[in-house]
Amino acid sequence: MSSLFSQTAWLIPCYALLGAVLALPWSPGFIRRTGPRPAGYVNVIMTFLAFLHSILALIEVWGRSPQLLSVTWLQAADLTITLDLKVSAVTAGAAILITGLNLLAQVYAIGYLEMDWGWARFYSLLALFEAGMCALVLINSLFFSYVVLEVLTLGTYLLIGYWFNQSLVVTGARDAFLTKRVGDLILLMGVVALRPLAGTWNFDELADWATTADLQPWVATLLGLALLAGPLAKCAQFPLHLWLDEAMEGPVPATILRNTVVVSTGAWVLIKVQPILALSPIGIDAAIFVGAVTAIGASLIAIAQIDIKRVLSYATSAYMGLIFVTVGTSQSEVALTLLLTYAIAMSLLIMSTGGIVLNNISQDVTQYGGLWSRRPVSGLCYLVGAASLVALPPLGSFWPLAQLADNLASDYIWLLGVLLTVNALTAFSMMRVFGLLFLGEPTPMTRRSPEGLWALVLPMVGLTGFALHIPLLLAVLDLLPGRVIALSLPALALLGSTLLGAGAGLVPYGLKRDQVPVKLSSPALQDFFAYDLYTAKLYKGTIVFVVAAVSNVIYWIDRFIVDGVVNLVGLATMFSGQTLRYNTSGQTQFYVFSILLGIAALGIFACYPLLQDLSLIAAP
Amino acid sequence: MLSLLLWLPLIGAIALLLAPPQWSVVRLRNIAGVLTLLVFLLSCYLLSQFDLGNGGWQFQEYHAWAQPIGLSYSLAVDGLSLPLLVMGNLLTLIAIYTITGAPHETTAGALRDRPRLYYSLILLVNAGVTGALSAQNLLLFVLFYELELIPFYLLISIWGGPKRSYAAIKFLLYTAVSGLFVLAAFLGITFLSQSTSFDYGLLTTDGLELKVRLILLTMLLIGFGIKIPLVPLHTWMPDAYVEASPATAILLGGILAKLGTYGLIRFGLQLFPDTWTLIGPGLAAIGTISVLYGALSAIAQKDIKRMVAYSSIGHMGYMLVAAAAGTRLSILGAVAQMISHGLILALLFFLVGIVERKAGTRDLDVLNGLMNPIRGLPLTSALLIAAGMASAGIPGLVGFVAEFMVFQGSFTTFPLPILVCIFASGLTAVYFVILLNRTCFGKLDNAIAYYPTVLLSERWPALALAAIILFLGVQPQWLVRWIQPTTNALAAQFPTVLADQFATQQPTLAPDLPPAMAHR
Repeated sequence: MSSLFSQTAWLIPCYALLGAVLALPWSPGFIRRTGPRPAGYVNVIMTFLAFLHSILALIEVWGRSPQLLSVTWLQAADLTITLDLKVSAVTAGAAILITGLNLLAQVYAIGYLEMDWGWARFYSLLALFEAGMCALVLINSLFFSYVVLEVLTLGTYLLIGYWFNQSLVVTGARDAFLTKRVGDLILLMGVVALRPLAGTWNFDELADWATTADLQPWVATLLGLALLAGPLAKCAQFPLHLWLDEAMEGPVPATILRNTVVVSTGAWVLIKVQPILALSPIGIDAAIFVGAVTAIGASLIAIAQIDIKRVLSYATSAYMGLIFVTVGTSQSEVALTLLLTYAIAMSLLIMSTGGIVLNNISQDVTQYGGLWSRRPVSGLCYLVGAASLVALPPLGSFWPLAQLADNLASDYIWLLGVLLTVNALTAFSMMRVFGLLFLGEPTPMTRRSPEGLWALVLPMVGLTGFALHIPLLLAVLDLLPGRVIALSLPALALLGSTLLGAGAGLVPYGLKRDQVPVKLSSPALQDFFAYDLYTAKLYKGTIVFVVAAVSNVIYWIDRFIVDGVVNLVGLATMFSGQTLRYNTSGQTQFYVFSILLGIAALGIFACYPLLQDLSLIAAP
Repeated sequence: MLSLLLWLPLIGAIALLLAPPQWSVVRLRNIAGVLTLLVFLLSCYLLSQFDLGNGGWQFQEYHAWAQPIGLSYSLAVDGLSLPLLVMGNLLTLIAIYTITGAPHETTAGALRDRPRLYYSLILLVNAGVTGALSAQNLLLFVLFYELELIPFYLLISIWGGPKRSYAAIKFLLYTAVSGLFVLAAFLGITFLSQSTSFDYGLLTTDGLELKVRLILLTMLLIGFGIKIPLVPLHTWMPDAYVEASPATAILLGGILAKLGTYGLIRFGLQLFPDTWTLIGPGLAAIGTISVLYGALSAIAQKDIKRMVAYSSIGHMGYMLVAAAAGTRLSILGAVAQMISHGLILALLFFLVGIVERKAGTRDLDVLNGLMNPIRGLPLTSALLIAAGMASAGIPGLVGFVAEFMVFQGSFTTFPLPILVCIFASGLTAVYFVILLNRTCFGKLDNAIAYYPTVLLSERWPALALAAIILFLGVQPQWLVRWIQPTTNALAAQFPTVLADQFATQQPTLAPDLPPAMAHR
């Protein structure tokens, strides 16, 4: 069997990059005659090529050992950085998922951004994301994973800032960039520190190294925590989760990708560094703890949101939390399966609600109602998405979640509790949104609400069909857990929690919408969740405040102390009421004096570590 | 060959001064531009002729000049100076085609007053830098080092902003003191080691007492520290950068500051290898403080040019930390950081100059929404984002490559300072996001947004710089290939106690290199 397509798998990200470049001529001011739309079409075609290539590559590597490609990127002094690629069934499959979802999102954007002028920029950025993510899954090196994550951070900044006229967009883009950058830089610390210890950044070699590595516990812990930080920010886990919520200001087609595959890049890297994380019990426990706290906290916050995109964004954080728990308990295979089923389900949810937001202007779920008769296709797609998201057999996510529940039941019983809670809460919030949107009487906002353009409906319906076939796909891929697990007590408990949550959501918000006013007993508690545990205020009161204060103090010192000495003589002229003449002799002397002062300070400082040496020399 | 590089701009400078007064500004500028392009191409030719297997001096020229005082006309370059020299020529070319700032320009963007002097001063700067970078005699170096002051002083004080005379005097005094310290240290090195010649290759500090070496090295540190500049000797720099016209700021930050770092490595690290290891921790501390200080001060700025100026202090700090660590990779990173910082800073100043020229202000609180495609400055904004991100160390652009080599190379020697530096590169992102959010993003005020279009002639230097920054970021081998032989040889001078943890784990990767620096 030939290996043409797997050997050339490095082309998969290149198609998208080429698309990004090709879209640029349609930026405002270059090609005017055609309007901006060709930029989109070019990218759809390039993404389709990448999709096709990924499928062909998967067919080639199926059942065979992975293809390893390697090229030296930089050889500098004693540092050699090689770009390692690994084309295996898993990575090719991930590339198919990424390019496939990108294809759908780009087609969706043709409809969603119909009236927008910035197609070139938008499609270039989508293509940049696609290229970055495809590269990330193919890359087999921690260094380049970091590189890609960081480039994607920049991409996030620009993509969220797409509608840069709006102030919320601007702050959202800023916060996303800075939050992710914090995670990235801590990851960079880990990357830098790992090299002298392990001597390699290749994931396979790192895994080998981790089996025999003998590190001091504190080194292993710090290393583990540093490597955890990157995924933590990417996956929007507590306490770095706020950006995902603010990122919802961006356009929906970007959200489809961001809430599914982009956040999953963090999880992907986490899975890859899991062997190193496992060197330190604290690192592993931190991953599990952060994941569990985020899962529960974010699903609670999701329930209290009235903005439909924010409900979905917190559900994203919650599921990424579950992934953290899964990886933390060494179930990487389950985590990968869950990422697949989750990505399909979540993109379905966003697509179906995105079309509604587009026609009906509002993102406020309380303004909606009675859409079922007007948009049955969207409603069905939403239902399929919700059912695939939570543990509801026979649809997608049930299987990995059941496997997870079964594994947790033996060793981590409290995590099983977390899983059941999160599943129930997510089912509740999905049904709450469904009830508010589709059931009840039509409201002024929903009186007129047709299904969208073909470009919106086609990807959505196609994906629904795919979502319904996921169990078959899992069976073919041999990823379905056995019947024993599917019928085991934890799995049944999982199903019970789904039904309980869904029922509890559907009744008050859907069926008996008008009779039961839903209010928590304590408004303060409700606000606490509605305002995202006041995280924004927490940031503002701590890190933002500290950085702003310190920089102002430093600048004050710079102006009035360091430079002030230089300018002190200005005071005298102020008193005499004359204009400043800086080159008079008195001032010149003062400059020299201040320079000497600075020099003296620096000299003492530079020699400080040597004073001991000097006394040693002087003594004999 | 090096003489050609040195004398061509010098002759050009004189010729331009003597040009007929009726010649138009555009013509003068094109003459200067073509001349610089020629010099730049010649220096690129030198790159192609450079022997990559040899870390020592190449293209040597020697003429006895004033032997009684030990001064000789002795030129040569190695992997440390040649890349800087090429970058210096490139940035001179860029600077010639950079707009000079509102009060000194006609509406067509051409210079209004004293164009002959202006362009000849820029050529003079170029000649001075080439001379200083290729001088193989300490006195010759000082000669060129001091020669730089005159054109820069005039450039700031004639074509500067409102507070230009203040800034120019401050600059002149500070850098004159810097020259004095360097000169004193050079005299000390030569006389105390009983040498009769100031030729670089004949000098060695091995015979000196430790105390003497420490004092001499500290003097050099102060002298070059003013030029770089290092905290707390930096206060001339924000004023000079801000008051200078964009073209002068590019030359100041891109070329002149690099003479300080170059001198520190050439005359500090290379002449005092043992002493350098002793004061290494102190240098790393100063570097780290500079990094933090620059980044934090930049966050507090309201003027984008001043913000960029403070960012420069921070980025020079990385260089010092890396030079202090003294491993092969870290010294390479330090030199790479000079190049990358020079390119990025030039791009930033260039774009800030365009924004100021077109939008009429540099104030963060006034600027808004420049990314607007019709009424704003979309391409300038896009390039500004690229430049800011390059400076913040986003991978794929040259800033990351250099910073990463600094971090990785110095980590085993100075773990804690490097972690602080990585933290500070997060602060870099903070102020660039502030800058980009306030200038490029947001809503353009339609009432005031009647900006003149940016002409292609005003923007090609930025496009060229951005292309280079991107290319070197993606293909960093082109950045390190000329530097590597020399920095490897430099690092080989050091006692390798700190560096060998790396070396033992990477036995196959180190190419064989001459064990000691071949001076001649």
